[in-house]
Amino acid sequence: MNRRALVEETIYASLLRLDAHDFAGFLDICDPEFRYTIGAHSPEIRQDMTWLDHDKAGLRTLFENLPRHKSDRALLSRHATVYSVFSPPDAAEAKAVTALQVFRTTLDGGETQLFAVGKIHDLLRLADGQARLLRRDVKLTTRLLGIGSHIPF
Amino acid sequence: MPRSSRQWDEPPSFPSTHFVDTRVYTDPTLFRDEQVNIFAKTWIIACHESELPSPFDYRTFRHPAGPELVVLRGDDGAVRSFYNICPHRGNVLVHEPAGNAHKLLCIFHGWSFDCQGNCAGITRGKEGYQERFGTTDAGLRGVRTEVGYGGFVWVNMDDDAPPLRAFIGDALELIEPHIQEPLEVFHFHKVVVNTNFKLWHDTNSEFYHDYMHYFNRVTGMLQPGYFDRKYKPYPNGHASVGSMQVRYDKYDGSQERRVGWPGLAPGGWILIDLFPGMTYNLRTSVIRLDTIIPLSPNQTLIEFRGLGLKSDTPEQRASRVRDHNSIWGPFGRNLHEDLLGVRGQGSAMRDATTGSRWVLHGREEDSSIHDEVGMRHYYAEWSRRMGRLASDPFSGAA
Repeated sequence: MNRRALVEETIYASLLRLDAHDFAGFLDICDPEFRYTIGAHSPEIRQDMTWLDHDKAGLRTLFENLPRHKSDRALLSRHATVYSVFSPPDAAEAKAVTALQVFRTTLDGGETQLFAVGKIHDLLRLADGQARLLRRDVKLTTRLLGIGSHIPF
Repeated sequence: MPRSSRQWDEPPSFPSTHFVDTRVYTDPTLFRDEQVNIFAKTWIIACHESELPSPFDYRTFRHPAGPELVVLRGDDGAVRSFYNICPHRGNVLVHEPAGNAHKLLCIFHGWSFDCQGNCAGITRGKEGYQERFGTTDAGLRGVRTEVGYGGFVWVNMDDDAPPLRAFIGDALELIEPHIQEPLEVFHFHKVVVNTNFKLWHDTNSEFYHDYMHYFNRVTGMLQPGYFDRKYKPYPNGHASVGSMQVRYDKYDGSQERRVGWPGLAPGGWILIDLFPGMTYNLRTSVIRLDTIIPLSPNQTLIEFRGLGLKSDTPEQRASRVRDHNSIWGPFGRNLHEDLLGVRGQGSAMRDATTGSRWVLHGREEDSSIHDEVGMRHYYAEWSRRMGRLASDPFSGAA
């Protein structure tokens, strides 16, 4: 598999596993040094904001705590297109920019609405024919997120 | 045992101060009266001074009474507010939520206004209006503005309203010692939720709903001092809740807060609810400020701000941001749960047909943390200002 295909498949797999609430599976494709953030720029206060910021251990705890919390049970569907992959031939890492749309589907009736759009900026570690997420920064364009979400995008 | 239709519609066996008729959350007439009798007459937080750090900075604000406002810092340093409306043809003057402009220029016909609300120019004015109308006739509508209580920008649509200090009184006495240093906004997001605005303020006015928050149960309710927290009511419908030591380390993945707050004991937490829909929430290392903007009887816009100290080092600020977002950001543990709660109420009370008849505010626990005195105090003020009983709003009695 060429580098681009490897990177794309890893990114798509990470999003499919989050869709499926397969959080252990998501963490399996994260490097031990993984860091995850969600942020947005606020034109109102003219600042960049970081809304979620966890290392791998922090994300694992967040996922483990989910059953203890009251959460919206609507389903989230992540639709992504990997726009660009940058990785020189002999590099051990790759950068990727992915367009992200998140749709929310209600349990009662199954109505689907667009929940958020943004871009994912990934850094992946490449080794032994595998790619692992080393860093993921989700930059949301959407800031009006209704009641929000307990589950990362 | 389930109740019959007749039993369901009977008023609760509490004093009339201890429940409200759900029509206060659904009725369009009451909603319009609230805009006129409450929001158009009370002081409302429009933004924070740190959002206007330089001369000519501006910030827009949708006032809860209806009008769109623009808040401006003048070249003299003063902060003033105006209707964000060109007096010519009613166009919005400022389209972006924040920016810097030496003059406000209406894109429609080029009329311009200075930072003190004076009309600075009317394109081809003499040709069109001769001596009949000029810049002195075309100033913006000024809105009373004061800056205070932690550097917040307060506005009041009522030219004759008492000053801000009279409206607040002693209600912020618990938090005032802790907001003497300059503050700075680092977080802003809006939420539109299908619920009545008072239901959000109700949630901020009672801690009994900590049963909904796993985070608050393990770090607060199960810890010493939680049930010693007391509500204190103040004139004009405001109320405060005293502090305790929150044990953040009791939540898996959390830890004791690395930074504190000037003068606040470690783990401290002070909450002040201000009538008709603002909340100061100082929780150990960060201030959250809620401003409620009702859009319709069953739709509410809430502006959420997070603030630290202007003097923060980058490390201190990063710590406050993490603390804030762990519970209060769009992906935080608590805010999502609070919004789930009021969205559910909004669904069950979306209009008069849904069958919900009464909401109980009947808990009495010596004004301690699960007492519902905060809501009772709020609705006493609501009834006074509306000239209606919240428990029976169409009876003609107040």
